[in-house]
Amino acid sequence: MSTPTRTGRNVSMTVNGEAVDRHVDPRRTLSDFLRKDCGATGVHVGCEHGVCGACTVLLDGRTARSCCTLAVQAEGSEITTVEGLADGGELHPLQEAFWKHHGLQCGFCTPGILLTVTELLAGNPDPTDDEIREGISGNICRCTGYQFIVDAVRDAAEILRGTGTGTGTGTGTDPTR
Amino acid sequence: MTSQQLPPGLIGARTRRKEDPRLLTGRAQFVDDVVLPGMLEAAVLRSPHPHARISSIDISAALTVPGVFAVLTGHEVRDACATPQPVVWRMIPDQRMTDQYALAVDKVRYVGQPVAVVAATDRYVAEDALGHIEVEYEVLDPVVTLDDALAADAPLLYEDWPDNVSCRQTIPKGDAATAFAEADVVVTETLTYGRQMGAPLETRGAVMSWDPFTDHLECWMSTQSPNLTRDLLGEVLGLPVDHIRVRTPHVGGGFGNKFDFYAEEVLAALLSKRTGRPVKIIEDRLESFVANAHSREQRIEVSVAAKADGTITGMRGTVWAVLGGQLATVGIGPCWLSMALMAGPYDIPNVEATVVGVVTNRSPYGSYRGWGQPKANFAHERIIEKLAHELGLPANDVRRRNLIPADKFPYPSQVFYYDSGNYADCLDMAENAVAERGWRKRCDAASNEGRALGVGYSFHIEISALGPSKIMNQAGLQHSSFDEEVVRIDSAGGVTVRTGLSAMGQGIETALAQVAAHTLGVPLDSVTVLHGDTQTNPFTGYGTGASRGAALGGGALLRASTRLRDKVLRIAGHVLEASPDDLEIADGVISVKGAPGGPSITMRDIGDAAYRRLDGKLPDGEDPTLEERDVLDPDNVAFSYGTTAVLVEVDRETGRVDVLDYLLVHDCGTVINPMIVDGQLHGGATQGIGGALYEEIVYSPEGQPLTTTFMDYLIPTATEIPRFETLHMTTTADHIPGGFKGMGEAGTIGAASAITAAIEDALPDLTLHLARLPVSPPRLLDAIDVATASKENS
Ligand code: FES
Ligand code: FES
Repeated sequence: MSTPTRTGRNVSMTVNGEAVDRHVDPRRTLSDFLRKDCGATGVHVGCEHGVCGACTVLLDGRTARSCCTLAVQAEGSEITTVEGLADGGELHPLQEAFWKHHGLQCGFCTPGILLTVTELLAGNPDPTDDEIREGISGNICRCTGYQFIVDAVRDAAEILRGTGTGTGTGTGTDPTR
Repeated sequence: MTSQQLPPGLIGARTRRKEDPRLLTGRAQFVDDVVLPGMLEAAVLRSPHPHARISSIDISAALTVPGVFAVLTGHEVRDACATPQPVVWRMIPDQRMTDQYALAVDKVRYVGQPVAVVAATDRYVAEDALGHIEVEYEVLDPVVTLDDALAADAPLLYEDWPDNVSCRQTIPKGDAATAFAEADVVVTETLTYGRQMGAPLETRGAVMSWDPFTDHLECWMSTQSPNLTRDLLGEVLGLPVDHIRVRTPHVGGGFGNKFDFYAEEVLAALLSKRTGRPVKIIEDRLESFVANAHSREQRIEVSVAAKADGTITGMRGTVWAVLGGQLATVGIGPCWLSMALMAGPYDIPNVEATVVGVVTNRSPYGSYRGWGQPKANFAHERIIEKLAHELGLPANDVRRRNLIPADKFPYPSQVFYYDSGNYADCLDMAENAVAERGWRKRCDAASNEGRALGVGYSFHIEISALGPSKIMNQAGLQHSSFDEEVVRIDSAGGVTVRTGLSAMGQGIETALAQVAAHTLGVPLDSVTVLHGDTQTNPFTGYGTGASRGAALGGGALLRASTRLRDKVLRIAGHVLEASPDDLEIADGVISVKGAPGGPSITMRDIGDAAYRRLDGKLPDGEDPTLEERDVLDPDNVAFSYGTTAVLVEVDRETGRVDVLDYLLVHDCGTVINPMIVDGQLHGGATQGIGGALYEEIVYSPEGQPLTTTFMDYLIPTATEIPRFETLHMTTTADHIPGGFKGMGEAGTIGAASAITAAIEDALPDLTLHLARLPVSPPRLLDAIDVATASKENS
């Protein structure tokens, strides 16, 4: 819970399509605001100094590190967090691809990587593996070794371009599906 | 060698993970997502000095900060605790213990040691209040390095000790002295492994809620070892364990850092007791670099005695463990293991290895994926390379000559019995794969263009499935190491597995579900795995570490599920009027074998017969309900193993090393989910690459840590990491039901050895001598300079 102080300010923004209007301390980070005041706990904080990318959100369509952004700086903006990716009960194709290719282990880096890749694919719908690696090089994943993330992104890009069935290369058949 | 063959099915299938939809949508709960009514947040004041006496602490100003509820100092914590912070690995009986409390009492021994703690309305206010605590220190000379600590006139960290040595132990096998006296050749090496840590992306944290009326403690913790933590909280806080409930939500990576038991959980509990409110404590990243257990740092002296043909007859080694200012939970454990496994995969008849634990003014030394094994590996693989160079033989020929032959298993090493393996086949497979992929040709082609590429190998073993409890107790473990699993079919035929293991990204939920579904013959979707609550889930000794989860949890669950399946078949036989032996279960339907379209009954019917409408369906003498539990305390640990081959490019001008290709040939017995195994190998190898080339916790000569952000401590990103290729062999562990061996640490163990060998191979005109990790560009340039100078002088 944010501690209201005499210096508190009102902020309003749109978070995953919902208008929010809150009174916050000017020093409240956007990551704390989203996590604690908006319930968007899919925003993860891994370093609080702008390096790991776990806290990445989309701010007016562009990635932003919410740990190094103040809530008051996001006034009037439109924010998308990982909670805003899926469509109702349907996973976003990117989420599906990460699932299929084992693009996550502990999942702590995953929300930030999904949003980073969303921006990447918006600008470059058909990236090479090197471009994918470059595109996610601002996000630390301590678990996966990145290869299955790269596979997932390549596969998702194909699906999003509408050119593929998304059979991909990674994980083979799944007897449970 | 016998081998356990499981029929094809869900064990061995690349199924998607059950845990992923939660994690992909932001719905998974991590510890910092736990919010309780009235909850306070805590922050820790940490020592700015490596070595100092605390003269006084004044907390009065901090207590007046609006929103502050409590401030604790060392004396209060000591008085509130029944014991000092515990050390669970006590391998060396006469080891000097450090016996410290969650807050420093009179003296600080490393930068970052907790000195006071504040609970306030939120973390912002708690951090404000830290600035109002006045501590006066009498600064003492720091003991920063191993040599500082061992110097004759070194300041003492513990004034009642004669020196800074906490322990020393030698374990011999055979007669090393004779082997060295009779050797054709002796080679010796001194290696330095840099200080590193697991650095999971989610930092450590806890939420503690102490009920002052009943003295019950509810805990939410990001931990790998929930049962051990509960027992240790009971010991330290003087509470009966039935008053303590430890819940582990999703754990955002552990890598050993979250195996250990830390001060912060004790502090949050005491603050909750003091304030009557729940207290959350979440470590920030800067703190994590001083408050998490450090690992890896050692100086290792190793020598081998050999015949002219490369047969190793003897090995000697000393592991100098650069411990921190106090012992962490695992004490000398990891460094002791480096000593105990120094001979690695080699059949060396005479070994004499020593470990010496030395305290310094650095953060405590604890668990990190691989434990002592990356260092042991670096020792045996570096010395193999050096011996091969000395004898003018290919290093893999020397490996092959000394690898333990398949017919010598179970093999008695210095300390352990290695259970099974086909080591030579594994090395052959890697060499063949490298030849097929044309790495050598790529090196030659690059060399014609003036570029320097090289190939390096390493062979690793990995202790897993830890382990027989009584033997571990005899080895000094103050806890058990069995695993208990429970499986239940409910009244509608759904399956619930209960486990004490923690889900920390390794996919244990999916792996256990696969074992249960495979054994019971039900769809994977019908299995739910519950974990993360000591009150409702079974007991796992030790914790989710030492590559034991899949092997012991899987083995116990396989046995429990097999018995449950038998009961299902008895009920089905009764209903279908058939012998249970004639029945089979597929996809949740029980029918007569070889009679398609014949009478059948579903798992839902069986559930109904065992819980609801028993009459006429449940055989007489059969208890209602469908539940089995099993405890696996194996007769022995298991040893996985593998060969790593890497292709690197070295830039002679800058000292930069690029890993171009990476191949792992691996054997971990029966594989439950190959996709998960590959993911573990990739992730482990990535940490190994980090440790070989980039990651090091650096201290200034004054004892100040210089690497306290991700800008200084360099974790590899996607652009530093190559594609990996994995090839698998299966040699089952026949003392583990299912034949599983663990493999969670495998990737980390052999990486640095293979990479250093590859760098040396890339510069064949120089006799490069890489003895220090990580091989950072300046270090490599230095080594190139030294080698160039010695070439010019010769
Ligand atoms: S938490 Fe924001 S970049 Fe790491
Ligand atoms: S999956 Fe754990 S940090 Fe990326």
